[in-house]
Formats: sequence, C-alpha cells, structure tokens
Amino acid sequence: MDHEAAQLEKQHVHDVYESTAPYFSDLQSKAWPRVRQFLQEQKPGSLIADIGCGTGKYLKVNSQVHTLGCDYCEPLVEIARERGCEVMVCDNLNLPFRDQGFDAIISIGVIHHFSTKERRIRAIKEMARVLVPGGQLMIYVWAMEQKNRHFEKQDVLVPWNRALCSQFFSESGQSGRKRRCGHPERSHPYHPPCSECSCAVCFKEHCDSKRSHSVDYEPVTARTCFANIPKESEAENGFYNTLGKSFRSWFFFRSLDESTLRKQIERARPLKTTDVCADHTITIQPSRHSSLDLDLQEPFSKKEQNSDEEVFVETSSQKHLEWLRARGTVKHLNGDHLGEIGKNGGGTFLDSTTTSDNGADTSNLEGESPSASRILRRISAVNSTDSNPDDTISVEEQQADILDSRAFMRYYHVFREGELCGLLKEHVSELHILSSGNDHGNWCIIAEKKENCD
Amino acid sequence: MKLLTHNLLSSHVRGVGPRGFPLRLQATEVRINPVEFNPEFVARMIPKVEWAALLEAADTLHLVEVPKEPIQGYEHDEKFLRKMHHVLLEVDVLEGTLQCPESGRLFPISRGIPNMLLSDEETES
Repeated sequence: MDHEAAQLEKQHVHDVYESTAPYFSDLQSKAWPRVRQFLQEQKPGSLIADIGCGTGKYLKVNSQVHTLGCDYCEPLVEIARERGCEVMVCDNLNLPFRDQGFDAIISIGVIHHFSTKERRIRAIKEMARVLVPGGQLMIYVWAMEQKNRHFEKQDVLVPWNRALCSQFFSESGQSGRKRRCGHPERSHPYHPPCSECSCAVCFKEHCDSKRSHSVDYEPVTARTCFANIPKESEAENGFYNTLGKSFRSWFFFRSLDESTLRKQIERARPLKTTDVCADHTITIQPSRHSSLDLDLQEPFSKKEQNSDEEVFVETSSQKHLEWLRARGTVKHLNGDHLGEIGKNGGGTFLDSTTTSDNGADTSNLEGESPSASRILRRISAVNSTDSNPDDTISVEEQQADILDSRAFMRYYHVFREGELCGLLKEHVSELHILSSGNDHGNWCIIAEKKENCD
Repeated sequence: MKLLTHNLLSSHVRGVGPRGFPLRLQATEVRINPVEFNPEFVARMIPKVEWAALLEAADTLHLVEVPKEPIQGYEHDEKFLRKMHHVLLEVDVLEGTLQCPESGRLFPISRGIPNMLLSDEETES
C-alpha cells in the first residue's frame, strides 16, 4: 500500500506542484499571522526548519533565527533560492538531518498531502526526531470542517486549472507581473468567449455571465479569475471563500487506507497513471455554478440533478454574491493558504476548490452508489459526443489527460476536528501538545518535543 | 548551501543510521556571500554546531583555519565570532556533492541547492 500511496502522491501532489511551480514565482504572499508569530517568538539564534517550504514565504520572517527551507519540489525550492533563502530538496518521510538538530519546525499545509495515515504519522515522527528536546513543532492542515461549508469526505482530489493561470498572466494588467509560464491560450478550445463580453477568458467569467456580469467581466481583469487571489491578505473566511469564484468541483477519492481493506494484496501490479483514480472511484461533486460544471451540467440536468450532489453546504447564497462583488477584495483573499501548500509547494496558487453556493443538502455520494456510477458513466458518454469534449472530466478515460490539460488535481486528506491531535496523542508520544485550534480553515497544532525521549 | 546547513545534514540511506553523518563535502564551485554580521546570533549558533563535521568541511574547502573547538569565552571574542560567521554563513557551495560516509551514495548540490531525495529502492522497507 505504501507503493500505491507513493504513486498517488507522485501523480497528485509532486507532479502537480512541479508543473505549476512556474506560476508561483511572481506571486507574492504574506505569511499567516499565527505562523509568523510562532516564528518570531523563537529565540534569537534558533535553528528552524520549514518542512514543505514551497517558495519560501516563511523563511525570512525572522532575521534573528536561521531558517532552512525544505521541499520535495525542486522548482519551488529554486524560486525560494532566488529570493535568497537557504533551501534544499528532500522528503518529509526521510528527513536528511541528524537527530535533534532544530530548535523549531513548521509544517504548514503539508501533512494533508500524505495519502495514508501511516505516512502522515511518519512525517510527524520524522519532524519530531530532528527536533531538540523542548523544541516546538507547528503543524497546519486543511480542515474538513469549513466555516460555511464542508467536505463530504476526507480524501479529495482538487482540480487546479492551469489555463486559468495562463489566462491570468496573459490578460492581467497588473504591473510588474511578468509571467514566466509558457502556456498561451491557444490550447484551450474549451474556453468559449464569454457570451457577454466576448473575452476569451477564464471560464469563471463564462459561468458568472449568468449572474452579475457587471463588475466581473472586464476581460483584462484577471481579478475575476481565481488566479488573482494571491494578493496577500488575511482572509476572514478561509480558503474556500477565497477561491469561491471558480471551481466548485471536488473530486472525492476513496481513502487509500479504506481501500486496503477491500483489495487483494495480489493487486500489487504497477500502477499505470490511470489506475489510481480508476480504482478508487473518483466521485465528482459538481456544483451548479461553475462553468466547469456548466459543461458537466449538461448531462446532469438531463437526468435528475440532485441537490444532494453539492459538495459544500452554503449557508447563504448572499455570501456568494457578496463574494462576487468583492472580486478580489482583500478581506476575502486568503491567498496565503494556497501559498503554503505542502511539501510541494507553496505558492499562492489557486486551488480550484471553491465553494458551492448552491445551498442545500450535502449527502454522501458514495463511490459505488448508483447515482455516482451513473454520473461516471454519463460523463464518459458525454465525453465522447460532447461538443466540448475537454470540458467534461471523464474519470476513467481522462486521468492521463487531466494532469496534462487544464486540470491538475491535487490530493488532499482533509482533517476532521481532533484528528490531528489524535494522531499525535496516539502515535507520536515523543510530542506533547501545547495548543491546538483552527485558523483560516486549518487545524493547527503546536507541540513540543518531550525531554528525555530519544 | 551554507556550511551551517551542511552541519545538519545526514544521509538517510536505508540502514545507515547515525553513521550517515557527516556527509563528505566536495565542491566544484563556491561563492562567498556577504551576510550581515550579528554577533549574538553567531554566539548562539556555536553550541549547536557539530564541530568535527564543521572542521572537516571547512578543511575540504580550504577555508581559513577554524579552531579545533570553540575557544573559551568565545561569546565575547569578536574575532572568533567573525571568523565563524564567515565560515558558517557566508561560504556558499554552489556546485558539488555530498557523500554518505557509510554507503558512498552521492547527493548533488546544484545552484546552491542540495538534493537529498532518495530513490524508491533506497527507501523501501
């Protein structure tokens, strides 16, 4: 199972961050206040490690300490290096450090990229190992429970649309932002020009043409594009509000932990790229308002579109409109969360995981439920005949394409309340929890390495 | 890669354990990067340094002689602190390798970034 886990992480964490790294380079992002505070509270002369540093936004927060940034993703680390940070490429599961070298460690938005419980524990234990006794570890992971919405399941594949980023950069009138990516729009046939303003633009706008067209549709305004989010700011409402405008599709993934109970051990054949997803019955949970879904919407509306299929519980559609109008209002932006992704990456890039504002129910859409399989089949069927074939995401057929084309999907295991604490208490006895809480849609913990335990 | 970083690095090739430290440094390109001198900062770093490893690395790079051990009262010895500041923080290995002393495995340093990733086989249980 570890091999499968590694494969999944390679495909849906490492490869995605590697491919999307160029987009992070120009994006500024601010350190989250509490993380910042943690770093600033460390004694002068401390040795600190940021495991999963991405582009290094936390590495220079405190000039009185020496912070070493580590990430699995070389392109991201290179970006940090260009900013003058001391960085290296390594694996959280096998930290190349001697024991007890660091006075403090931060792990911001990293552990949630590990696809099995065992690996998550291993990552934490590795960090504990390289901490001095009395040293502190701060961990941030995405919370399953979000303020206004929640995930139905804990193991999620979250699409990220590279095209939007290209669009963002090419259309953005933002000064000083030269994009480095080399992905012009030509390869995106599925971006019909917005019917309202004829801008060939992020489908966000396309989708929103049904709503308040006004403010959001200036073609040059990448502000409307979710990719614009990384204007750093402290968001009140957490990650999903920030992303609100675009993708509202989550791809649920059956947990690998769960899968092992069902699978034969003999199925240890090497996984093809398409295997992982196919085996794990990705469930697509579209919402009604993203244009991604509009295309998917076709098949859905033909059959019964259940409000059951909503991913998030939206408490108020008013919020959506507010959000739309805010279009980049600083207070809604939580680009920083995006920035701290995983050991693979930071960056303020977008996660196309946004909230659905279609209100109502969330129900469990199990992988093998009839409606889910209907969805999957339907999507496949649509895919072959649909006029915009790229729009639909056929689970089985397009896995290989997905990574390549517009949607890079990142794997996350979102944490339930108490889960992170539970992990430490039960499996990492060398750490003692000092405090825990929720910050911007993340469960966070500060733990201390116990004395006399190595 | 600074020598302070090198001082923390250890090989995690399977089975090597503590014998993976320190990594043998070999540099083909080194740069000196001026860094603002902060005596308190350096003084606090000194006790965290694995001195023998630092000596070995400094020696490989033919650096100004590093004392065999921190001298008495080093906290207030500016000359000593400046020397250590230079060795730990200003010397930057841009290109080179780090070698596991036990297994011989080489880890590259390129553009100043050490890459410590092991292959799947090397980490397999």
